[in-house]
Amino acid sequence: MQFIRFCFARACNVAAVGGLRTPSALRFVWTVCIVVAIFTSANPQRFWFLGAPWVGLVSVVAAEEPVANPPASLGAEPTPVYFETHIRPLLKTHCFHCHGEADHKESGLDLRLARLMQAGGEGGPAVVPHQPEASMVWNRVEAGEMPPGGKTLSASEKELLHRWIATGAKTKREEPFQPMVEQWTEEERNYWLFQPVQVTNLETLHGIGSEPLQSNNPIDLFLLQKMQPAGLSFSPSADRPVLIRRLALDLIGVPPAPEDVAAFVNDGAPDAYERLVDRMLADPRYGEHWGRHWLDVAGYADSDGYTEQDIERPWAYQYRDYVIRAFNDDLPIDQFVVEQMAGDELVPQPWENLSQENIQRLAATGFLRTAPDGTGQEGVDPNVARNDIIAETIKIVSGSLLGLTVGCAQCHDHRYDPISQLDYYRLRAILEPGLDWKQWRDKPAKQVSLWTAEERQKATDVDKELSELEEKRVAELDTIVADIFEKEVMKLPEDQREAARTAKAMAADKRTPEQQKLMRDYPSLNVDRGSAILYDGARINEFNKKYEAQQAEIKAKRPADRYLASFSEVPNQVPATFVFFRGDIQQPRDSVLPGGLSILGEHDKIAADDPAIPTTGRRLAFARRLVTGVHPLFARATVNRIWMHHFGRGIASMPGDLGMLGDKPTHAELLDYLASKLVEYQWSRKRFQRMLLTSHAYRQASHQSPQAHQIDPENRLLSHRSVHRLQAESVRDAMLSASGMVSYSMFGKPVAVNPDEVGQIILGNATRDGNGILVAKQEETESVYRRSVYAQVRRSMPLGVLEPFDPAATAPNCDRRGNSTVATQSLLMMNNGSVIRLSEHFAKRVQREAGDDPREQVRRAWSLAFGTLPGDEQLQLSTEWLISQRSALTKPAVETVGEATVGAPSGTTVAAAGTLEPAAANLQSLALYCQALYSSNAFLYVD
Amino acid sequence: MSFSPCFSRRHFLAQQGIAGATLAIASLMQQKSDGVPPKPSLSPPSNDLKPKPSHFPAQAKAMISMFMQGGPSHMDLFDRKPELEKRNGENYSGELKYDNAAESSAKIWSGPWKWERYGQCGMELSELVPHLGAIADDVTLIRSMHTGVNNHGQSIYALHHGRITAGRPVLGSWLTYGLGSESQQLPSFVVLTDPGGLPVLGTDCWSNGWLPSLYQGTVIRPQEPRILNLNPPAHLAGAPQKAYLQLLQKLNSEHLAAHPYESDLQARMSTYELAEAMQSAAREALDFHQETEATHKMYGLDQDATREYGTRCLIARRLVERGVRFVQLYTSTQQWDHHANIKDALPAACKKTDQPSAALVKDLKQRGLLDSTLVHWGGEMGRLPVVQNEKNVGRDHNTFGFSSWLAGGGVKQGLVFGETDEFGYQAVKDVVHHYDYHATIMYLFGLEPMQLNFARPGGVGTLLDGQPGRIVNEILKNPKQS
Repeated sequence: MQFIRFCFARACNVAAVGGLRTPSALRFVWTVCIVVAIFTSANPQRFWFLGAPWVGLVSVVAAEEPVANPPASLGAEPTPVYFETHIRPLLKTHCFHCHGEADHKESGLDLRLARLMQAGGEGGPAVVPHQPEASMVWNRVEAGEMPPGGKTLSASEKELLHRWIATGAKTKREEPFQPMVEQWTEEERNYWLFQPVQVTNLETLHGIGSEPLQSNNPIDLFLLQKMQPAGLSFSPSADRPVLIRRLALDLIGVPPAPEDVAAFVNDGAPDAYERLVDRMLADPRYGEHWGRHWLDVAGYADSDGYTEQDIERPWAYQYRDYVIRAFNDDLPIDQFVVEQMAGDELVPQPWENLSQENIQRLAATGFLRTAPDGTGQEGVDPNVARNDIIAETIKIVSGSLLGLTVGCAQCHDHRYDPISQLDYYRLRAILEPGLDWKQWRDKPAKQVSLWTAEERQKATDVDKELSELEEKRVAELDTIVADIFEKEVMKLPEDQREAARTAKAMAADKRTPEQQKLMRDYPSLNVDRGSAILYDGARINEFNKKYEAQQAEIKAKRPADRYLASFSEVPNQVPATFVFFRGDIQQPRDSVLPGGLSILGEHDKIAADDPAIPTTGRRLAFARRLVTGVHPLFARATVNRIWMHHFGRGIASMPGDLGMLGDKPTHAELLDYLASKLVEYQWSRKRFQRMLLTSHAYRQASHQSPQAHQIDPENRLLSHRSVHRLQAESVRDAMLSASGMVSYSMFGKPVAVNPDEVGQIILGNATRDGNGILVAKQEETESVYRRSVYAQVRRSMPLGVLEPFDPAATAPNCDRRGNSTVATQSLLMMNNGSVIRLSEHFAKRVQREAGDDPREQVRRAWSLAFGTLPGDEQLQLSTEWLISQRSALTKPAVETVGEATVGAPSGTTVAAAGTLEPAAANLQSLALYCQALYSSNAFLYVD
Repeated sequence: MSFSPCFSRRHFLAQQGIAGATLAIASLMQQKSDGVPPKPSLSPPSNDLKPKPSHFPAQAKAMISMFMQGGPSHMDLFDRKPELEKRNGENYSGELKYDNAAESSAKIWSGPWKWERYGQCGMELSELVPHLGAIADDVTLIRSMHTGVNNHGQSIYALHHGRITAGRPVLGSWLTYGLGSESQQLPSFVVLTDPGGLPVLGTDCWSNGWLPSLYQGTVIRPQEPRILNLNPPAHLAGAPQKAYLQLLQKLNSEHLAAHPYESDLQARMSTYELAEAMQSAAREALDFHQETEATHKMYGLDQDATREYGTRCLIARRLVERGVRFVQLYTSTQQWDHHANIKDALPAACKKTDQPSAALVKDLKQRGLLDSTLVHWGGEMGRLPVVQNEKNVGRDHNTFGFSSWLAGGGVKQGLVFGETDEFGYQAVKDVVHHYDYHATIMYLFGLEPMQLNFARPGGVGTLLDGQPGRIVNEILKNPKQS
């Protein structure tokens, strides 16, 4: 027990130094102590665990029952259990829905206040203080009867409940008279996220950075503040080649060119690193890489999803391009958000002859058009589909801008966070004027044409010409059908011909039985416009060709379509928003007005109508409130996301859920400091990023010390740099880049994706094969070598070469990418056609640039892949491998009888060993070498 | 931390998620120590191919479907109609639905082929399928199949996707989604395509639809590389790839030495080893040369007409033997779509498929696999009783009544079930709709059709999609107890 006390003393001590919030590593220490305590008290014979390393210890006991209230378990004086602190959250999760929130309370029992529990319902008091066994709540829970439907409270929750009643069913303070809706408890109001951003006095951090640091960046001091008590400190700076590769993959999404690496390594200026950061931030590829991060959160896709039809969205890319431009131009984040939420409300109507600036504002609202859309699809209830769009859009907006998941509150008050059902529908009221489900506008009605008046006129003229041609075409087709019919008639016995003509002239449902029989007996009489081709293919084909040519000629004169898929409201058309009982759209209850979250006191801060503009202005008001600089959620959520992309995990690890279900921030003061800095920098993303990137924390080497591994295996304290796997797009883009095949053309329509002959999704257009089946063939056009951000995002067709590497989910959006390590990724790198083809291109480039000498080839390939030259041993290993492969693949000079086929299994082609001419063998072995570089961890991960 | 918050769609065999070594700590650290109840899991339901228990005891563990794309003429193969013989050449008096009115006629046509009764059960079959006759006592022949949509695409959709529309998951995807795979080194849902071209709907026939793409069918191509991404292209197979992997191993070991505690790096190295093991497992499974000469002969590998299809049937058996859940074999594009020239083309199609198909059933039986393997043979339609194209006789589409046969996996042996009308046009007795067919298969696999579902906007998606699928108890050895 000595050990336990030591841990406690240490934890408490450090917690005092570290401020109110226990840093995560100390929670770790804390947890170990607690678990050990439980374990040792229950199993005294297992004391030997105390000598084991903590890691092993914890993983062994991790399967045990979680300990909800550790102090009591220590056998010391139990901490008092209070309703507000311990019991209410538990009941809120499991019970309030039926016993409190709904109009009808089951058994007349309301559990929302301790007093009401004692008063009880139809079955008498639910709680008798000091007598758990006489308390109905306890008895029903203990018996597993409540909550109903197979859900049960955990052992620790039950224990808490029991102890609360046994110790007198105490409340912390006097309870309100009524459990009012949206009257949040002190605990809820005190939750860190809802507090104003608190700026730590930096002077309190003085003296922390005792060791020499490259920077006096406060970020480093904040981190050290948590690190030092745990016995950790920063690692030294990474080498320059590592730094430039890290920066390049982090900022522009592709590895640096060897020349750039050399230039940086040889740059003797003291600000070499800072200038490199600036160069990277100014690179147009920055917007493509960082824009993609935001597109994840926004749920960007080039198709509707929702049903199997997955209709394409031909104009969605305008939003993607807006985002890329906004990042490259360093559009201040406040403006970025206002434009996305309400760009349409900034552009005066009517929307004709729009300026570039206004086009961009409208394109920005594509943010609100990303949700899966089932409207207009077969077999879909339009009302359900429309409301689903609203719900998904709320999810995207709240997750991305507030860092909260509010979706649960669609049906009932949020079970964990202080978000009421009313809150949810207030948010809905902000969006509903643009998504009026009772007066729905279909997609064409919501498109904004970018045509000039002249183009519009031209299009009208062309359409008229086309419809005239169509009339002519149909008339001519009818004479052909008549001819064919007459030929068929002539095949009939003469006495039936006239009857056939009469029958044919008659509408099918008006024919006499005799006429019907005649048409049945001679089914070929039923020729019509559609089936005429089956009778006289030659003539119809010629006819079609003639008209198709004429149509094409006329259509060529039509100006190309140019639309924006923007979000908009119909002026003066303002639907009421209703709270749906249990989220059911068929059960509207009270109407609500727009508002922010009540926990922030914002529920009445958004006007239902802005008289200055023709639309309601609700979205504009909402967005502007977010970016005042004092909103506690928006800036925190934003900096947390940026941090996550630079450091691998957010300061709070769930960027879309900073609420009680997400992890608490590991460095709360730092998060607040960063949030305040972003505002201070006038929302300049690049300036903010520059601050992160010039910290020592970012520039550390990736070597983890044994000590750090033991104390902080997950590196939550950031005492070194963790290695990160490239995200899906970067895996492909890095291969494109090293191969030299990459096309950096920017913007515009996406590169189509289609299934190939086995159903794998590849880049390229689908064409009909010999059997008329649509199949995509691998193309060698510039467009298939464009960066991955320009590959079409079909919700139903994830690109095969990206898919195994956890691309963004699109149903509806993605807060954080997965990070899996699975064999399909390895199989892709080993066998995928695209990877192999890129390896060949890579090899050809190396041949062009390094000649035939294997040593030189290795040096060039290595530096193209990793940015640096290989070390001596690496060079030797690779060169030897390459030489041996060359000879293994080259056809022997003297013909010998092959023996390679003996015993080789069939169903595969036997190794092509020794069958190639020297030139081909050289290329193939080099391609295989390049493929190994692509597949290696040094390529797929960044230090 | 290794849990992935964004659900990601993956290819087959993605089940080997490597958990971070520190997961246990991470989960402990998430526990709050201030009395707030533990949080529900935020990770998505796992999608993997690990074997999963059925909802109730299963009779079939695997299925091989021999899909006869184009629509074999049931009245010339499986469903003898004396009325046609009697009224050959007369006009059909009722209403018929044609696909091609231009070439159509109302003239009743009786094929020139002879009929014979086979087996102890006395199943009456055409002389074109004598090998089927030899296994008649193991087969349930259904003469009353019905989809009711008269073109290939929609009817294929009905039998694969459960509905006549595109984009839904196919039967094989559902079975592997529900039951996982018995093999961790082979794809769980395999499609063997014909060198003569894909079925009419192309790759839609093995689409996972809105199920995770892990459950998409994996195509074994009729040429190298046999499995894309699993097999290397021919020029890399064998020694070159081995050399590549050896080099990769060295590069990665060296890299790892500089990052000794990054478990992910090590995990990735082991995924290459696993990938290699999968390759050799697949290679081994496809290596039918290990089979005896007698087996080769039984499948017709010694004859030109049957070699290709026989090989695929044999591979199908080898796959099922190794734990693959669902195998579907296709014939070439529209092979059975005999709008014309049926007199030559139908015997040729039968020649290609009859012996290997029967051999597959015999072989499964002699290896004790038939009881647990459901075998299906059939297309998306049958044909009309009247002549199409008098100059070169054929038959037009008919999805209102056609035949398919099943064997093994819990279906009765030597049974003929269902009837069409006297002309073979409409299924009239014991009609088996596509959704009945699916409900029956689900039952044999121990699956509740409603319980096997996937979350969709506005509800859940299922194979039957609310259609009144009936378990066809009459053809089952162990009917469902009501």
